[in-house]
Amino acid sequence: MKSEILYPGAFPMVRVELAAGETIKAESGAMVASSPTVDIESKMEGGFLGALSRKLLSGEKFFFQTLRASRGPGEVLLAPTVPGEIVILELDGLNEYMVQKDGFLAGAESVKIESQMQSFSRGLLGGEGFFILKISGTGALILNSFGAIHRIDLKPDQEYIVDNSHLVAWSATTSYNIERAASGWVASFTSGEGFVCRFRGPGVAYIQSRNPGSFGAWIRQFIPVSE
Amino acid sequence: MNSNALCFGEDLPATGMPCHVEVSAVGLMVRFGDVAPDSGGPPVPFDALAVFAGGLNHDQLVVRWGNGSDARTVYLKDPALIRAFRAAAPPDLTRDLEATAAKVRQARMRQRTVWAVAAGAAGALALVLWLGSDLVVAFAVDRIPPAWEQKLGEAAYRDFLLQQSVVREGPAVTAVHDIVQRLSEKIPDNPYTFEVAVVKSDVVNAFALPGGYVVVFTGLMKKAESGEEVAGVLSHELNHVLQRHGLERIVKQLGLAAVVTIVLGDQQGLIGLMKQVGVELLTLKFGREQETEADVTGLRLLHRAKIDPAGMIRFFDRLSEQDKERVEILSTHPMSESRAARLKEEVAALPKQMPEPFEFDWKTVQGALGGSESVRP
Ligand SMILES: [Zn+2]
Repeated sequence: MKSEILYPGAFPMVRVELAAGETIKAESGAMVASSPTVDIESKMEGGFLGALSRKLLSGEKFFFQTLRASRGPGEVLLAPTVPGEIVILELDGLNEYMVQKDGFLAGAESVKIESQMQSFSRGLLGGEGFFILKISGTGALILNSFGAIHRIDLKPDQEYIVDNSHLVAWSATTSYNIERAASGWVASFTSGEGFVCRFRGPGVAYIQSRNPGSFGAWIRQFIPVSE
Repeated sequence: MNSNALCFGEDLPATGMPCHVEVSAVGLMVRFGDVAPDSGGPPVPFDALAVFAGGLNHDQLVVRWGNGSDARTVYLKDPALIRAFRAAAPPDLTRDLEATAAKVRQARMRQRTVWAVAAGAAGALALVLWLGSDLVVAFAVDRIPPAWEQKLGEAAYRDFLLQQSVVREGPAVTAVHDIVQRLSEKIPDNPYTFEVAVVKSDVVNAFALPGGYVVVFTGLMKKAESGEEVAGVLSHELNHVLQRHGLERIVKQLGLAAVVTIVLGDQQGLIGLMKQVGVELLTLKFGREQETEADVTGLRLLHRAKIDPAGMIRFFDRLSEQDKERVEILSTHPMSESRAARLKEEVAALPKQMPEPFEFDWKTVQGALGGSESVRP
């Protein structure tokens, strides 16, 4: 499998080349176009219960789609729903990443995706829902963000504080605590805004330069309210 | 050679350097990439290592050695490798680790319990709503230490007083303190230290915040015809505090999330939740059952303090014959016929005793309040 980011920037797309018989897991709805040799298999990652609980508890899409080049080699074009950058991580089998539910775009066949329950308070306060994705294995992991994607490198014991709603993914070697932001947290308690994650290295954290919740609130003011 | 661990350090990439770790009898052999098996240098001896559990879920074994820019941190997550390390390392190195492992298991158990509780709670939600959530609420409220409650009440109390004109001294303050003193002496094992403020205002009301913060308005003191009447109101209010009615309401308002958070002792979560309702503490309304409970326990407390319990009934009775619209305390404590009957029944059931009068003279107290409003007969 070979993947390449087209039109890097705000409106990128990923071209994935698949050898005959090869598959890729993609977020449902991510496929833009494909060769006629590629078929879509809707498979429930983590079994029916896993998919159902993900759906119920994180509101995320029920399925990942499996795209298979079943009738010969071919290519697939994938794009996220929101404007923002795409980044491709090459998993080496050692590094594992936790990915916030909207951050996953696609992954190679050998990439393992698990829904992981967070501790209750993290889920309650964190704003990413009670489930996050734990991604391990080898091969390409394709993430998307809202806005630009920024990587923060953390040396052992180095700390960094990130607003929850800007989180995309972080390596499993980091540890993190959810903390209350200094102010303005009362009004936004339910949305999870106003909470921050204190990360502690080693590892990396990928963050997005725009906050989807705030953007939604900003947009809403221009939508006329029907009487 | 297959890498089986990640090595971190100041000069290594933040995603770690893949390395091959092997456990020997004397220490840890760490080799990077394509270095030949026999050129990895000597093993790092066990006595140079520090060990702890790390990573997001504390499920990785973190081994650290060296100082400054030469410091190395290796994350092991291969179970076989971790087992080998624990078997070979001297006990004093792994002792902390075993303790940490126990803690991690505990945390995991707790997390599992949390989810079980959460799942159970979600499943039981319908049942709870159906049966009324009083039992669940009581269970959660029992788990809140008075110290947290005090913090919460105190914040609201101080905020409130900042916006009010507080009577600092004089006969009214002395009288109110006397009353609270006499009452609180008769509360066995009282976890609260009551703090009372007299606030200059024509509002005919008094209230108590969780944790024992009591506010009496001069408007109420002007309407009262004796210290016993004020004592009746205060005893009722103090019993709202003692029975933790405020917390019960808060937990009810916040719902299941609060219950679960409290039961799990999740301080961070609870403070967030409680702070959020702190804003509404002052407008908290008690339920009818709580009012009845405060009435009954309030009367008993008056009796123990040898204060005539009839004062409380007189006060509410008389006020309700007056212009109800202007008497705030009646809006939260309406004197219905059933309430009056219950209060009288309760007083009649108490053993007879001679009440002891207060040391202050009520007319003097009221005189000191000054008057924008004359005392009505
Ligand atoms: Zn009351």
